[in-house]
Amino acid sequence: MKKISHTLFFPHGPEVVWQYLTNADLMELWLMKSDFLPVAGHQFQFRIPPMPQLEFDGVIHCKVLDIVPMKKLSYTWNSGPGDGKFTLDSVVEWTLHPKDNGTELQLQHTGFKGTEHINMFAALEGGWLQNMNKILKLANTATHGTTTA
Amino acid sequence: MAQPQLDVFQVIADPSRRYMLQLLSQQSLTINSLAENFDMSRPAVSKHIKVLHAAGFISIHDIGRERHCTLKREGFTELQQWISFFDKFWITKLKKLESILNQKAN
Repeated sequence: MKKISHTLFFPHGPEVVWQYLTNADLMELWLMKSDFLPVAGHQFQFRIPPMPQLEFDGVIHCKVLDIVPMKKLSYTWNSGPGDGKFTLDSVVEWTLHPKDNGTELQLQHTGFKGTEHINMFAALEGGWLQNMNKILKLANTATHGTTTA
Repeated sequence: MAQPQLDVFQVIADPSRRYMLQLLSQQSLTINSLAENFDMSRPAVSKHIKVLHAAGFISIHDIGRERHCTLKREGFTELQQWISFFDKFWITKLKKLESILNQKAN
């Protein structure tokens, strides 16, 4: 998995859905408390429990990148161990598509720095797993040949 | 001797280190044979290798007089953990948004 993408449909016009994405009071109802403002360049934060194993102090640092009312909203989604450096560097983007009887909302969480190496690693791991299976098979055969457990 | 530990992202932000990982993804290499692929001094290559090693990307084995570098997988799993964590995070949050909005009258 290299990016996150989810699409939802709501039986409401884009103006209603937009409110839930851009009004801090409404955002708190389903997402988190924040100091969000619907202004390009505005910096805001979300807080979730820290995860030391991922060098995460619990603060998600965001900055509004692009805002087109009722259509599109994107912000950075960065975090780190708390020393001012970011170990997670990503972007969250919301897109609204008006439909006949409602709104289709798409969320994309992308731009994870470093993802280009996941493919390489996956290929590598696949190769290792195959080899491990071969070794296990051989080991099992050998064991069964010499013991009667 | 101890150098500041860089995180996964800082480690692979450097193009030379990324290329080293690519080369090592095909086969294990000695530091000398790795260095042949780069237009930089041997100490500079060693420094990058130290960084890759400290971050858990590679392991180093001394065989005779040569130091052999092999790709390790620990460094790569952190990123996958992040992505799967936030995938679950968003699914939970979006379900909440869905239930709020679906209860709301048109």
